[in-house]
Amino acid sequence: MLRTMADSQKLSHTSAMILQAIGAGHIYGYMVMEVTGLPSGTVYPALRRMERDKLIRSQWERQSIADAEQRPPRKYYRLTRSGEITLEASRKRYPLLAGLAPPEEVPDR
Amino acid sequence: MKTAWLQHTVLRAASLLAPGDQRSEWIKEWRSELWYIPRRQATLFSLGAFRDALWLRRNNLSRATRPRIHLESPLRCLAFLSTLATVSIFAVICLPAPHLEPSHPLTVRNLPEACVRMLLLSCLFLPGTLALWRPPAIRHPMPWRSRLHRGIFLALKIALVQVMMLCGFTVLLGPLGRFAALGFNVAFILVLRWVITDQQQRCPVCLRLLTAPVRIGTASRTFLEWYGSESTCSRGHGLLHLSETASSFVRRPQWLSLDDSWKDLFAGRQT
Repeated sequence: MLRTMADSQKLSHTSAMILQAIGAGHIYGYMVMEVTGLPSGTVYPALRRMERDKLIRSQWERQSIADAEQRPPRKYYRLTRSGEITLEASRKRYPLLAGLAPPEEVPDR
Repeated sequence: MKTAWLQHTVLRAASLLAPGDQRSEWIKEWRSELWYIPRRQATLFSLGAFRDALWLRRNNLSRATRPRIHLESPLRCLAFLSTLATVSIFAVICLPAPHLEPSHPLTVRNLPEACVRMLLLSCLFLPGTLALWRPPAIRHPMPWRSRLHRGIFLALKIALVQVMMLCGFTVLLGPLGRFAALGFNVAFILVLRWVITDQQQRCPVCLRLLTAPVRIGTASRTFLEWYGSESTCSRGHGLLHLSETASSFVRRPQWLSLDDSWKDLFAGRQT
């Protein structure tokens, strides 16, 4: 159990990239794919895994906003407090990570 | 952006792999994302849905809440197998016997003889099936009584399973004819595999099924590390570390006995 808690602070490089992308404001699946260059078959399972581990949380966009823009609602991902701490630890572990995804203006949904 | 029927068909096919209770939410997310994908990338994008659906199926948290047959206790497991064996015998008695070999009809009277033949046949299957069995490496020697109980439990399971298989074979011999023999061989190997897997997932001390599996480590970090799962005996007898890949330092599952100082932690779980 203690090992699991300790390991949760250490992410694989791929997961760290995705976490960094979300932290930088690229908050939905396709945008994370675009920024990281990872395929959908990697990004979406990783998002689910990180949500399960409570590093990120997801929220569906309000239907009214999507209707107004005549498009389907999107599922947005945001970092949790635990995710922010893990991302900080990952940045120390992978120093080049910070340069991966330039910060994006997070829309207010 | 409008998407073609092909991508939607791919998503629909992949959704069959997703757990039923999460399928609608899952496909809603993928269809929503697909709407935004440029057409030239859409097919490649939608193919990733298979991997996602498989991940979701393998890590379905709601699976634990499904109603299941509770076989945690060794006595319940034996009672369940005994019930199935009894029902199988009754089925053989009630249903008409197959008439493929009139000189040697298979009836209840010669069931013991057939069971002995089955035992001999299983001796042929067992070595191949036992190759799957990786008995846990136990650091402290187990008392002979515990080892005896484990052996008796395994032998009883194999014996009860043999009765069921033989009765099933007898019942299906009529309608399936010679194909019954082929099906019987495959089914027998699968059932023996279940018996051994069940044995592997039990506490070596009390023979209860281990609970609360926790995943440890990651597949990408195997250098001087291991990854797999850790299960706990609900009575607090110990922990089983089951590595997903064998390595030079973890060849077999590791059983870690817990001493009496852990008893308080498990006191409330002994039901």
